[in-house]
Amino acid sequence: MTTRRLPGAGAELNRDEPFTFCWNGAPVAGFSGDTVVSALLAGGHDVISRSMKYHRPRGVLTADYWDPNCMVQVGSEPNVRGAHRLAAPAMDVRAQNVWPSLRHDVKAANALVGRFLTAGFYYKTFMQPRALWPAYEHVLATFAPGGSVDLDAEPPRCDIRFAHPDVLVAGGGPAGMAAALAASRAGADVLLVDHGHRLGGHLRWGSGDDRARAAQLAAAVRAAGVEVLTDATVLGRYDGSWVGINQRTASGVWERLVKARAKCLVVAPGLIERPYVFAGNDHVGVMLSGAVRRLLNMYGVVPGERAVVFSANPDGAAAARDLRSAGVEVTVVDASTGVRLERVEGSRRRAQAAVLSDGRRLDADLIVTAIGWTAPTTLTNMAGDRPVYDEVSARFFPDRLPPDVLVAGGLAGDGSVDELVAHAHATGAMAARRGLTVRAQLRRATPRADPTVTSVPPDADEPVPLGRDPHPALFMAGSHGIVDYSEDVSSKDIVDAAAEGFDSVELVKRFTTSTMGPSQGKLETVNTVAVLAQELGTTIGRLGTTVWRPPYAPVSLGALAGRNDIPRRVSALQDWHDKHGAVPLHAGNWLRPDHYGDPAAEAANVRNAVGVIDVTPLGKLDLCGPDVADLLELVYVNRWRKLAVGAVRYGVMCTEDGIVMDDGVTARLADQRYLMTTTSSGAAAVWEWLERWLQQERPQWDVRVTPVTPAYTSINVAGPRSRELVAGLVDDIDVSPDGFPYMQVRTGTVAGVGDCVLLRIGFTGELSYELHVPAGFGLHVWEALLATGAALGIRPFGVEAQRILRLEKGHFIVGQDTDGLTRAASAGLGGLVKLDKADMVGRPELGWAAARTDLPMLVSILTDDPSVVPVEAAQIVEPGTNAIRGRITSSRMSPTLGRSVCLGQVDAALAHPGCALTIRLPGGAQVGARVHDQPAFVDPEGVRLRG
Amino acid sequence: MRRAGYRRAVPARERDEIVHRRGRGEGGLLIRRPARYSALGLLARGLTGRPWPRLWAQHELRRSYDVVIVGGGVHGLACAYYLAKEHGITNVAVVDKGWLGGGGSGRNTAILRSNYLTPEGIRFYDRSLQLYRAMSGELNFNVMFSQRGHLTLAHSDAALRTMRWRAEVNVLQGVSSCVVDADQVKALVPSLDVSPHTAHPIVGALYHPPGGTIRHDAVVWGYGRAAAALGVELHQQTEVGDIVVEGGDGPGGKGPGGRVTGVRTSRGDISAPVVVNCAAGWASTVAELAGVTLPITTTPLQAAVTEPVKVFLPAVVVSGSLHVYVSQTDRGELVFGAAVDPVATYSTRGSLEFVEGLASNIVQLMPGVARLRLLRQWAGLCDMTPDYSPVMGVTSVDGFFVDVGWGTYGFKAGPVSGEQMAACIATGRTPALIAPFDLARFTEDRLVGEKGAAAVGH
Repeated sequence: MTTRRLPGAGAELNRDEPFTFCWNGAPVAGFSGDTVVSALLAGGHDVISRSMKYHRPRGVLTADYWDPNCMVQVGSEPNVRGAHRLAAPAMDVRAQNVWPSLRHDVKAANALVGRFLTAGFYYKTFMQPRALWPAYEHVLATFAPGGSVDLDAEPPRCDIRFAHPDVLVAGGGPAGMAAALAASRAGADVLLVDHGHRLGGHLRWGSGDDRARAAQLAAAVRAAGVEVLTDATVLGRYDGSWVGINQRTASGVWERLVKARAKCLVVAPGLIERPYVFAGNDHVGVMLSGAVRRLLNMYGVVPGERAVVFSANPDGAAAARDLRSAGVEVTVVDASTGVRLERVEGSRRRAQAAVLSDGRRLDADLIVTAIGWTAPTTLTNMAGDRPVYDEVSARFFPDRLPPDVLVAGGLAGDGSVDELVAHAHATGAMAARRGLTVRAQLRRATPRADPTVTSVPPDADEPVPLGRDPHPALFMAGSHGIVDYSEDVSSKDIVDAAAEGFDSVELVKRFTTSTMGPSQGKLETVNTVAVLAQELGTTIGRLGTTVWRPPYAPVSLGALAGRNDIPRRVSALQDWHDKHGAVPLHAGNWLRPDHYGDPAAEAANVRNAVGVIDVTPLGKLDLCGPDVADLLELVYVNRWRKLAVGAVRYGVMCTEDGIVMDDGVTARLADQRYLMTTTSSGAAAVWEWLERWLQQERPQWDVRVTPVTPAYTSINVAGPRSRELVAGLVDDIDVSPDGFPYMQVRTGTVAGVGDCVLLRIGFTGELSYELHVPAGFGLHVWEALLATGAALGIRPFGVEAQRILRLEKGHFIVGQDTDGLTRAASAGLGGLVKLDKADMVGRPELGWAAARTDLPMLVSILTDDPSVVPVEAAQIVEPGTNAIRGRITSSRMSPTLGRSVCLGQVDAALAHPGCALTIRLPGGAQVGARVHDQPAFVDPEGVRLRG
Repeated sequence: MRRAGYRRAVPARERDEIVHRRGRGEGGLLIRRPARYSALGLLARGLTGRPWPRLWAQHELRRSYDVVIVGGGVHGLACAYYLAKEHGITNVAVVDKGWLGGGGSGRNTAILRSNYLTPEGIRFYDRSLQLYRAMSGELNFNVMFSQRGHLTLAHSDAALRTMRWRAEVNVLQGVSSCVVDADQVKALVPSLDVSPHTAHPIVGALYHPPGGTIRHDAVVWGYGRAAAALGVELHQQTEVGDIVVEGGDGPGGKGPGGRVTGVRTSRGDISAPVVVNCAAGWASTVAELAGVTLPITTTPLQAAVTEPVKVFLPAVVVSGSLHVYVSQTDRGELVFGAAVDPVATYSTRGSLEFVEGLASNIVQLMPGVARLRLLRQWAGLCDMTPDYSPVMGVTSVDGFFVDVGWGTYGFKAGPVSGEQMAACIATGRTPALIAPFDLARFTEDRLVGEKGAAAVGH
């Protein structure tokens, strides 16, 4: 065993809280503060995973969130970052993508044929015979990396929070903390977000002095009242300074999404140490300097016994120092001497020796590289910046940023901790000024009771830009090695891809899949570009990088979904429906009673006595103002200017291409007040439609549109005895045939409830009254109707009975009997369209349609066999050829007629009364039918309706 | 013809691949015999270490071509390929302002299907599926077409009625589609929550067994390689700045009645009697260069992908009412798409609201994926027409052809569009398969009725 725990060391650990958890079914000891992987290493488990393609054993590389070799399954959660996730008692941790076990993995045999499995090899084979491809594909799919989704697991509880900080600081290292502190002292509300479990950034794995400095800064940050989120990642900076944050540790929920409107954003993510490309760079025991220092200083884990440290910067030297003081025998290979690490040799279990470019072979079980950093420019990239490569310091820097995005720390330049802190301090103060300026503008623009205007601190000096330290450009040794650990892509693969013509970063990425894995290029992109640039004889700067896209770190779907409580709309009567055996119908977001047991009997009762139906979902818009008539003239195809107070008119709306969009009735309640009704499903769309015309096209009109759909409980009272019923419940409305004729509206009191609106209309084809009752009294009126109606034979009816009744009457439903191509004329509404109006939506198209004789028509249809009810959507075909000539759009068995009735769209040539049709039922059987001689099957003269 | 330039552009190690010269007039063109891809080839090259040759050569831009195709995505490359293969027109340049397949071809969610709503739509997309099915063999490039089946979920009676309508029309056109109930949905895709108590209960679905997914980049590369092997030149990083038109009614001699004579690019001017607009996302701006106005607005469509997990989702799942579609790649990632953004813009930055809405919908449909992590989001541009159907064929400018207006369904149609556009260009006649999609329909009141099935129907 080459790994061990150093007694007493490990700043993150609480040795008073030991526990055990499970690794592949066996117990492993850890302390509070351990990550899964630090505990595994301390327990001698060096191999954490197998690589994607060749299933090579893999151990720690970076020992942080981005470690590509430390993805594990924790219970039902796949792809957990084992080097970041804190271990917990009894946690069930398993290796992913291995079979039958991590130690003996069958697919490791792939390594033997690796030379044939070059990048994109699958594009070149498995083509013949074609019939075998599904089998090949099945095998390929078994190589999908990653953990497993537990389909039976209960979804975790998540939620979403909104924040409105003046300054949001992304990154809680020394620079981020200093920026937050300065911004807070300048009077700004500051939100500081750090990816790690504690503030401190790279100081956390530094020397004792570094950690003391981190603790001191963190204490000052908290004392200043800065809100701190740890184990949280700024996912992205979207347009309008809209910032998403994934809080992975949050009280009360599994994860939380914080959405912040940051008035100023300070980006201080630090730098990400970059791996070095050489043969054998994925042996267990090859690590970056940051990994060694994290393991030693944070967790007291000594990751080897004999180390070779290939170092081009002070981090390498520091790692060597830390290792020596932990008793490890260390050889430092200083890159500035020109000697390079050439390759690492090792066994299946672990690295054994480093071979240098000068020919030396150094025995070692730990090979450490410190060859430079990648600047994580994701957030600045999202703010519109394209990073620019700096040859001298061998990394990218942000170039041009909008005024509300500032950078601090390693992303801004180099320096001692003091220099970084000083720069960040000035940056934070500037961020506060900018943030507070925006806050002051917002406050001034918003009327409020408290007129205090935020004071903006006086201008101060701009931060003095940080310097940039020269750094050798070290990317790749003279030998080929792994570039993308997650995807098992080597530099040889990239060179081969370039030779095949994939000679831009984007093409090489797509062909080799390099940078497409879980860290999305944070470790891999620059090396990929470097290898490609070398192969093409160009420079990193000229090739540039791929576009960094959100999220910065992967975010759970659960967190993004939040509570995911989808509102279910119900009327005030829903409890009553439930208690009375209603079978529910899902209609959009609404839940409605489909029927109460026997829809045919419900329908028959409406025809013979009286019924009541809850039609609350019917869209209702209150229109107010002097220009309502103009609006109605514009959006409806018929005339509205002469509609008298107290009258109701049916109207149809068409879109600009002349297609039927919605229909309904509008009532004029007073001189400048109208109540518009729409279809239930079209309520929201019609509201938006009216607002669009008012706000964008006719802003000069004075019309106020108020959606009042749920403000009323809407009840349709239908049937020959409905007048008797309504008469018994109103006292201030004359409901006699002459006092309240068909297509009229009245307002008054129903069952003692004032402010009710009554419309005499009849979708069912019966004498009927549509009652709109203030929603709070809906149940009272409903029960009063049922009580009073008991003597009249009343029973409630549901949507299904209503559908039957309207079909018997030949009334169409927009969206069912019409479709995305139905013009007004096709729906039999040609006479309604008034082309001589000054203007209306879709006027030219409606005119063209009116002139055409070839449009399909909506007709009423009777099957030859009255017992056959052709399913809705059955096609009307040409016998013999099966060419489509139309389709059935609605069909039901009519209880009134004792036979089936249908509506259907048919070609113009077939749309004449008596025309014989052939309906093809699903399955292929054909039945004969005829076009009915008028739209209605029941009461074509409308005697019942108008009675 | 500048043969010397061509030679210089060929790296030394590839010269062995240049095996013969095919005469064309004075110059003659060097044609490489493409190295055939096969398991044996992989074996041989693995043993010898000899690299594979380039998929397409690099060329200097010549001064004239018979056909210039603007846009190096699946449509442009397929058109070039079929021009060369079916019609012997090989003096063709495909120019792209970026890299091949960098637009819609590389940003779509790679779903294929033919269960459209109108007979003309179904016939058209079904031909595309046929070409896709034969593609790996035809192009000698494995495009990994996975016919895993395609489910369009219905959450209401009304939606189920539309599904039945589509199924009936599909069956009459010979396309395999049927309506299945909630239990059958569960059997096909066990990860779906089909319980009746969800906010949007799954009451059934349209099941389309031939639908599936494909490796979209492979389609682009396969066509590019095959077209190049037939002599077509592919020019990346070559942006068209202007289209030269003479004799038209508009300013500068452009517009109706004019005739195309060439294009001006960032790498020099080209004269050509035929210019084809295959520039999805920028179709209307490219057409304006020729003085042709298209009834197109451009709107982003966003997509996202999760981290990989072991394969558990056996079919493509679409919910039209929730505006979401999802499939799992052979690499294990879930790929999501949705409806186009509500605002027309050329920005492809993406929004937080998109991924929130997406996650909300997908967690409703498949509660088991809540712990899975979203890895990346991106956007592509969709050229939307008023009737959710493309614009294909001739324009009012002689020699200027369009293959545009591909909205959210362009990738599915790549092969058939290339094939039919090539026939249109080569024969001068508009093939029946694309006749319903002509530009004149917008002024002649002949819109195509695909709104219902294409609007969110992936």
